[in-house]
Amino acid sequence: MTTPPALRTRNVGKRYRRAWALRNCSLELPPGRVTALVGPNGAGKTTLLRLSTGLLAPTAGSVEVFGESPATNSVRVLSRISFLAQDHPLYRHFSVADLLRFGRSCNIRFDHDLAVRRLTQLGISLDARAGRLSGGQQSQVALALALAKRPNLLVLDEPLSRLDPLARQEFQQTLMGAVADGDLTVLFSSHAVDELERVCDHLVVINYGRVVLRGEIDALLAEHRVLVGPRVRTDPRGSRSVIEIKHSDRHTTMLVRQGAAPIMPGWQANPVGLDELVLAYLRRPADHEEQIA
Amino acid sequence: MTWMVWRQHRTEVVALAIFVSVIATALVVLGRPMHALFPAGSAHCLTPPLDLTCRFAQARLTQDYGYSTIVLILLNFAPYAIGGFLGAPLLARELEAGTWQLAWTQAVPRRRWLAVKVMVLGTVSVLLVAGLSAVIGWYRQPLDLLGGFDITGFDLTGIAPMAYTLFAFALGVAAGAVLRRSLPAAAGAFVLFLAVRFTVAGWIRPHFRMPVTRIDAFVPGSGDLTDGTSNVRDMILSQGFIDAGGRHITGLGAVILEGKAREQGGDPTVYLHDHGIQRWVVFQPIARYWPFQLIETVTFAGLAVLLLALVFWRIRRTAF
Repeated sequence: MTTPPALRTRNVGKRYRRAWALRNCSLELPPGRVTALVGPNGAGKTTLLRLSTGLLAPTAGSVEVFGESPATNSVRVLSRISFLAQDHPLYRHFSVADLLRFGRSCNIRFDHDLAVRRLTQLGISLDARAGRLSGGQQSQVALALALAKRPNLLVLDEPLSRLDPLARQEFQQTLMGAVADGDLTVLFSSHAVDELERVCDHLVVINYGRVVLRGEIDALLAEHRVLVGPRVRTDPRGSRSVIEIKHSDRHTTMLVRQGAAPIMPGWQANPVGLDELVLAYLRRPADHEEQIA
Repeated sequence: MTWMVWRQHRTEVVALAIFVSVIATALVVLGRPMHALFPAGSAHCLTPPLDLTCRFAQARLTQDYGYSTIVLILLNFAPYAIGGFLGAPLLARELEAGTWQLAWTQAVPRRRWLAVKVMVLGTVSVLLVAGLSAVIGWYRQPLDLLGGFDITGFDLTGIAPMAYTLFAFALGVAAGAVLRRSLPAAAGAFVLFLAVRFTVAGWIRPHFRMPVTRIDAFVPGSGDLTDGTSNVRDMILSQGFIDAGGRHITGLGAVILEGKAREQGGDPTVYLHDHGIQRWVVFQPIARYWPFQLIETVTFAGLAVLLLALVFWRIRRTAF
């Protein structure tokens, strides 16, 4: 029997009172990988992350974490997931030592020493009050708490958004170290595309509550090319492989998804950058979803 | 998890313990001279005939300790102050700070998390009120002479205050779940608490059981016009005169009639008796204190359970 994926969603949807925050979202996270979830604000990222940690139950479809629905809130499934919510909420009046004790008292496996070691390395005093720490230190404490649970799936909601570049780098280092250390699958959301390549190997792009692109980053970059040639009057809707088309006075630039197919004479093929690729998919209007599949 | 409950709420619990001790100490200090008026205890002064010590003590009580009525009325807020203070932030503070996402992704399923918190903090608030209510019970013992089947007695003693506390606590938790912020939750719960308490105490409680109606003829020549019942602790709902035709005369009509009787000179009871007018009173006897306590307790504890059940149901599937 093969091990179930760290996270698998099938046609999952979540409707709040009036509108769908997420619809028909299917994805699978291979174990041991770092996946970035990218999308504009309001695309449904937080909803998807909360669904995968059991904080929300889906309205439609199913969510499984290592084969079990996190919405059951069973001790077993909760023990395998760590969640670092947006703005790394902590009990502000607790000292760091109190927070670690909280982790110990609310978990079956909690590697207290590991957390102490990490925080000492970063020069964070255990006696300090959480609310008095800098944003970067708070995020490190939250991450240390999350990692001390020894989770198999670590879910992070915009972990980098409020950090300065230095704190960002330190945070990424800790994260990468944890992934290298052991059996850990990471899913994190971000709206900053520029730093993803360094940290993650998988990418899921969502927009309008749907998945618009997913796959291994290297493969995605290899599959897409930017073609530049003389101005044409092609309708991008006519071809499934044209993701985006732009015309200038003399030239037409197209982003296409077609492995290594030969190109027309007079055209030039260039590799695409990751943020260019993501932005092109995000710019596509809502009615394109069906074509992507 | 229990450590966590203590760590998170110890400030409130300690503050409330101090609050209760201060009030209790004040009541003991204020109550001792009042008890000293009754060297032989106040119980025998409740039923007539009153001996001289009783009459004297009663006069002193009305004269020097009139303020105690206000003290007792204010003490009716204690169940809310304690239950609401612990209940309102229970969920609201987590929702405000976003820490619910931290709390509910540890290996404690959130229904258990809520169950432990509700059990521990609910018990703490009920125990605090039980202690306070015991002291109030001692303090107001002599004041029974001035009545007490009302918010100066019934609502402060027995088992009902604990049910009020549980209700206030549950209301706080539920308001926190809906309003998601501590202060608005506390304010909202306060308004609802007062509304329900006033409705029950003012309009519903007098009808828990069919009230007793008593009609007494005046004894001509006795000079006895005293109204009320033979026990000052009864809850009087309505009283006045009833004429020969069976019509009730209350309020201003009763005052005018009594004035007319006195104008005749001599003993007004003779006039009233001759005109076939009788004394009429509708009341709940103090003997119904415990059945009423029980009904009140079941009502408020039931409301509390209902509210808490709604909160549990609310966090079952969808988080906030």
